[in-house]
Amino acid sequence: MKKRTVWTGLTLLMLLSMTFVGACGPGVDTIKIGINAPLTGDIPKVGEGTKYAAEMWLEDINAAGGLDVGGTTYKVELFIEDNESKGESAVAANTKLITQDEVLVIVGPQASKQAVPAGGKANELETPMVSPWSTNPDTTLDRPWVFRACFLDPFQGPVVANFVQEEFGYTKAAVLYDIASDYPKGLAEFFKMAWEEAQGAGSVVTFESFTTGDTDFSAQLTKIKESGAEFIFTPQYYNEVALIVQQAHELGWTAPIVGSDSWGSAETVELCGEDCYGLFFSTHYAAAGAVGETKAFIDRYNENHGYVPDDVAALTWDTMGIVQRAIQDCGEITGDIKADRKCVRDALAKITDYDGITGKMTFTEEGDPIKCAVLVRISEAGEFEFYEQVCP
Amino acid sequence: MSADENLRQRLSSVGRRVRQWLRVQFSPVPLLGWFLAALVAVILEMLVGTPLARLLGMSKFPVLFGFALALAQPVYIPSAIVYVLLIYVLPVALVARLSIRLGNLLAGWLMRTSPLLSVVVHLGLLYGTLHLWAGLSDYRVLVVRLMLIAIMLTLSLNVVNGYMGEFSCSHPGFMALGAYAASLFSVLFFVGNDAFGAPLLPIGLGPFLFPLGLILGGAVAALGALLVAIPSFRTRGDYLAIISLAFMFIIKSLFENLEFLGGARGLSGQPDWASLPVVFAWTILCVWTINNFVRSTVGKALNAVRDGELAADAMTVDTRRTKMVAFFFAAFWAGVAGGLFAHVLRYVNPGTFDLKKLAEVLAMVYLGGLNSVVGSIVGAVSYNLLSEALRPLELYKWIIIPLLFIMVMIFRPTGLIAFREFDVVKLLHPREGTPGHAGPGAVEPQAER
Repeated sequence: MKKRTVWTGLTLLMLLSMTFVGACGPGVDTIKIGINAPLTGDIPKVGEGTKYAAEMWLEDINAAGGLDVGGTTYKVELFIEDNESKGESAVAANTKLITQDEVLVIVGPQASKQAVPAGGKANELETPMVSPWSTNPDTTLDRPWVFRACFLDPFQGPVVANFVQEEFGYTKAAVLYDIASDYPKGLAEFFKMAWEEAQGAGSVVTFESFTTGDTDFSAQLTKIKESGAEFIFTPQYYNEVALIVQQAHELGWTAPIVGSDSWGSAETVELCGEDCYGLFFSTHYAAAGAVGETKAFIDRYNENHGYVPDDVAALTWDTMGIVQRAIQDCGEITGDIKADRKCVRDALAKITDYDGITGKMTFTEEGDPIKCAVLVRISEAGEFEFYEQVCP
Repeated sequence: MSADENLRQRLSSVGRRVRQWLRVQFSPVPLLGWFLAALVAVILEMLVGTPLARLLGMSKFPVLFGFALALAQPVYIPSAIVYVLLIYVLPVALVARLSIRLGNLLAGWLMRTSPLLSVVVHLGLLYGTLHLWAGLSDYRVLVVRLMLIAIMLTLSLNVVNGYMGEFSCSHPGFMALGAYAASLFSVLFFVGNDAFGAPLLPIGLGPFLFPLGLILGGAVAALGALLVAIPSFRTRGDYLAIISLAFMFIIKSLFENLEFLGGARGLSGQPDWASLPVVFAWTILCVWTINNFVRSTVGKALNAVRDGELAADAMTVDTRRTKMVAFFFAAFWAGVAGGLFAHVLRYVNPGTFDLKKLAEVLAMVYLGGLNSVVGSIVGAVSYNLLSEALRPLELYKWIIIPLLFIMVMIFRPTGLIAFREFDVVKLLHPREGTPGHAGPGAVEPQAER
């Protein structure tokens, strides 16, 4: 009996003494930034890129001894939350970051499926949020607190359309896209609109669709081939790009196939191989032949993690930079989280000519950046080569 | 060897004694006592939660019983444990124990005055506790709202998969139908967007007409259930599972292709009408009707159909009608839950209602227990809390949760609390009698199976 009492007492004592170990919590001299990323779920690679890029940014800040805001140096702490690539989890993660961790600003979520509902929450709770990758107009629409770091489909569609007309002088287009997926569908429609505006109604001779998960495109491709189209525009993800291009070549298609920023993953060339050499797509940045800051980022990422970063990582990196700039432009962190968040939001809306690795960006109250797109050619060595830059 | 055995024996005897002691101390506590105790704990947290957390070295009170904090920074584990002990466990135990006499007196008086009054008082206490607890943080409000919606979904699926004994996979589809119908209702009438133009009614009316939108969502889902029910009447088992799975995919494709509802982009702009009291009220309504339904003649007929369709037919049960009604009923509540879900997220997207959602709902049903209303509630609450609490573990969460499920399936193959009746009246009665004494509503818990 006695022994047990002693043991219980000792355990309690240990527990209590340990509680005060945790007493060295974050003080006021810390700036907290939330990262809302899909670390598990459908697109874990996207989450990984987000996390790595954000951590690289933090390394830089720590190496400099902290973030200098108006003469005071602050420590920076990242709160990385997993949104499981689910809308409800993204909202929960955002709410937790805002109310519980009291972050100053949130970076993410990446995919629109999460960014649209999560952005609503950030706007409601008056916390600035910057999504690096979400292209759905609803993400920032009528939401003064929500920003994004990528260009929108209404810009990218015409960019591709103009490029093809100027480069090849074609007049008849074919489009093949995934009707069940938000991004390809939106972009396909904007491309069609831009092309028909330039070439007249009916100049998109075939507008073929399929559904996520399809792997056989021969029916659509045969139709395209017979329609007399001079090239195919397919704004698909890397796994489908490989299948589409290879199957088109098997059917005897020799004309160009043009893509969009969703092609910009290292996997595209790996899966597609020689079939994709010489093809063009529009994107945020070109990895091969990059110079300056962009090259430094790519080399460092490659060295640390063993692969060339895709556009998500690059955009996240730029987003971190934009957020840093906004915090510094703010001039002063008062410790009153509401006022600080407002200050950062106002600073974000005024950022002009931010020189990121994905191009120069200027923000407006709309929350969408004005930035240039890059046209990339897949070289004979399988690298993404810079071909041309298109600015709005 | 003998020392080892000795220790094990002593440990098990200690465990037995502790359990015995707990039973003696706490079995006379009526539900009212527990509710009162929970309320006291929550008020305690409101008053001293933040200072206590500061004292323990945490920057803020742990929001979900300290799970998130402890998992993200293990150094806080002792603080979190001490906090939970001091704020929740000890006060609840103390108040529950000390209020036995008062609680039983009060519960008895309430029951004698009017059972309805008793129900109202209990619900009021439950809601008050929930409201105060969630009110401390927006994050809790969101978690509780999603949890309540999960309860509705789980319960409605249990009607088909548990009480009817079929394996239906169309629940995400019903949910999608409800979500889109209710969203369409509120966006078309009260918000307006590019596709629908200006709103038809002033937005001030919205919150009052919102229940209509939810009922519309439920009705549309029930209509969808008709589509599954007709071809699946002649099939059972695997075939119904396949038909209902197909239905789920059809619904998903349908919304991906319906341009005026946003297609794959999804529909946003739902007003924030699914607040905590609204969701709570609908959940209570759902639990109440489903509980009455499964305990009614139709519910018993449903069990009969499950155990032997031919036999049930021979015993004059109209099997066709019974199955149909159950399917409709389940779909209706799934639709209402979907409508609420859309208004909590304020955005719907066809991609949300996919296999992942199905797996989630099925997991909650089978974790909680088939053929049991309490089981569904326990399953939904525990899965949701666990899922949210373990989120900081990222990838490991998806190892721990499945492992937990495997354990549950090994040790309790039918789920945590399966095949049990949920007798509200019995629950509300005072517990003054000896453990052997049965209240008026007592039913053998394991009797039906």
